[in-house]
Amino acid sequence: MTQSLGLILGALLALVLFVYTFWPENAFASQREKTRLDFLQERKEQLYENLRDLNFEFRAGKYPEEDFVAQRSQLENETAQLMAEIELLQQG
Amino acid sequence: MATFGSLALVLALALAAYNLFAGTIALRLLATGHPARISPERLADTARRAGIAGFYAVTAAAFALVWSVFTNDFSITYILEHSNRALPAAYKFAALWSGQEGSLLLWAWLLGTYGFVLRLMHKTDVKLYAYAGTILAGIQVFFLAVLNFAAPPFSLFRGAIPPDGNGLNPLLQYPEMVIHPPMLYLGYVGFSVPFAFALGALMMRYPGEKWIRITRSWTMVTWLFLTVGIFLGMHWAYAVLGWGGYWGWDPVENASFMPWLTGTAFLHSVMMQEKKGMMKSWNVWLIFSTFLLTMLGTLLTRAGLVSSVHAFAQSSIGSWFVTFMCIVAAVCIFTYVLQRSHLKTEHQLESLVSRESSFLFNNLVLLTACFVILWGTLFPILSEYVQGTKVTVGAPWYNKVAVPVGLFLLFLTGVGPLLPWRATSLRSIRRNFVIPVIALWAMVVVCLVAGVRPWTDGAFDAGNFYALVAFALAAGVLTAILSEFLRGAGVISRQTHRNILSATWLLTRRNTRRYGGYIVHIGVVVIVIGLAGAAFNRNQEQELALHDKLVIGPYSLEQVGATQDTNPNYDSDYALLDVYKNGKKLFQMAPEKRVYAASGQPQTMVAIHSLPTWDLYVVYEGTNPGTGQPIIKAFLNPLVSWIWAGLVIIVFGTLVALVPNLSSATAAPRVAARSTVPEPVLKGGD
Repeated sequence: MTQSLGLILGALLALVLFVYTFWPENAFASQREKTRLDFLQERKEQLYENLRDLNFEFRAGKYPEEDFVAQRSQLENETAQLMAEIELLQQG
Repeated sequence: MATFGSLALVLALALAAYNLFAGTIALRLLATGHPARISPERLADTARRAGIAGFYAVTAAAFALVWSVFTNDFSITYILEHSNRALPAAYKFAALWSGQEGSLLLWAWLLGTYGFVLRLMHKTDVKLYAYAGTILAGIQVFFLAVLNFAAPPFSLFRGAIPPDGNGLNPLLQYPEMVIHPPMLYLGYVGFSVPFAFALGALMMRYPGEKWIRITRSWTMVTWLFLTVGIFLGMHWAYAVLGWGGYWGWDPVENASFMPWLTGTAFLHSVMMQEKKGMMKSWNVWLIFSTFLLTMLGTLLTRAGLVSSVHAFAQSSIGSWFVTFMCIVAAVCIFTYVLQRSHLKTEHQLESLVSRESSFLFNNLVLLTACFVILWGTLFPILSEYVQGTKVTVGAPWYNKVAVPVGLFLLFLTGVGPLLPWRATSLRSIRRNFVIPVIALWAMVVVCLVAGVRPWTDGAFDAGNFYALVAFALAAGVLTAILSEFLRGAGVISRQTHRNILSATWLLTRRNTRRYGGYIVHIGVVVIVIGLAGAAFNRNQEQELALHDKLVIGPYSLEQVGATQDTNPNYDSDYALLDVYKNGKKLFQMAPEKRVYAASGQPQTMVAIHSLPTWDLYVVYEGTNPGTGQPIIKAFLNPLVSWIWAGLVIIVFGTLVALVPNLSSATAAPRVAARSTVPEPVLKGGD
């Protein structure tokens, strides 16, 4: 490949990429700010998953009954407080 | 093609710089809400598209270099120095990363590719992806600046152009070398992505831990590439260097191992953040360190700071890398100090015997190993700087620390999954640990009976002791993992009336991350068994006249002749050895010695007969100049094939973990909202 052909190809590439980058586009993506409510909903899903894991491990025989009850109670308590805050934010 | 390639690199640098500049301004405008003449969203989108366009420009440059190799364009200095006409096509590709300029171009191209995929997926979370894309652009600006100003791959040869090139380094002319460096680089470069997400999430005070879920697949894929790259390198060292081993604690091997250790720690501890909102600062620093260690690895490999059989390209780009690493460290520290209030933990460690603490110990052990290796790797540089003499540390120094640390890590691999979250009662420990402990002690008895004893002739034998501990722990950990599968499958089996195999399949599909992770742990156990075999390695070196025999273990190797071969790329000499066992001929081995035409350099090609029990590994060391007889060195290396089998299991396990879950496990939560909210239960998200 000659030097001039290389230059022409390089210039062509620059032109195409310039047009691609700056082509007027109105349909670009945007998103609303994530709120505390979104955050709490995500955490709720995670706490539900933790509860499901705990139940499954108990059924698999990994926890004695009293350990399971104590842990479940802690997780449920945490989830309940979180859901209360969610309800409060949804009402407000 | 040199002109086109050079232009493409300049263009790529301009686009990456625009991506960084416009992206930063757009994100600043979005964060402050200041009015501007152009909409920040539109500006951010042009920055994103500049990143995509930059990928095409780097691809064009990489294509130009590959084209030049295949068309034997020796007017380009890089092609002249790293290729020749007779080089087979696959190794012409390898020429792309055999030299410094080419490997930096590969770095930039892989980073461009990761960035391309990331920018195409930006709708997942537009703002977070914009931060990550801008940070990746910053890294890309550095690599493209080095390529344009310090190590240009398309610089032209001055003077009369030779008719043929100098050829590829013979050490690199081995099939694995076509895939090992790209795999390693995919791993190195890939850690830029979770780094960019973590730094971006911290900069924007990302509410919650969803960014971890978004980056999970990136991190696992990157980790997988790095793992495969490291093991392919081990196999290459085993099959090509002819010293009978696969890991020599070489500085460049260490450079790839250190980010693997911190990356593995991150993969584990990030689960704590996702599930419990704990260890947030720790995780941020783990991924920052991992990225900096990948940079250090590239610096060690490329800048010639340390002597290594792997440091194929050496030059003076070290100052560029050191400056960049300092800038990255400064940005990380500044961002952390500014935003550390965002990283407050949501839960405290409640007990030293819990799943959480096992993750913490796992992290501490991995980081200890990383620090020890970093110290050993940098010690020659530091000692030279302080004392004026280079003091190197050898394999025995590393082994003294790494072996016990590795065994403790194996212990945690077994213990962790058996421990419940939060706290563990004595009853729970008894319930979960009885069977693995029985398996562990049963293995101790089996080993002692089989002759694996920690003493030889009344003296303590550290190799045998560690092998015994490794086998015993392997049995315990394997039992623990299998019991996890069986217990879970038992629940599914009872619920759905499936047989245990079908239930195990469903169990794995329902929680691919956990059970894929367990499969990875099985692979680790298999690898440790293979590594422990090294305690029983044997070797024998002998000059063999025709029909002379070399005896090693149960094998007898008889020299039955020699042969030669030639092709345009190299000339070969083979020693022919018939292998007997119990007086019966089994097969013939032909270790080889090559001399490459272009470079005139010799190279050993080892003959390996691999079995699950051991490898018979034979090296043709050359001929005795006095007698003209071949000198043969044979090794009997037990359990080496288990290491490669373990890698296959790890790859399978990681692929399983990458598959989305089939559906959530059963057991619906039963939670009702409380009527009052004394104070927000969770920090963050504000």
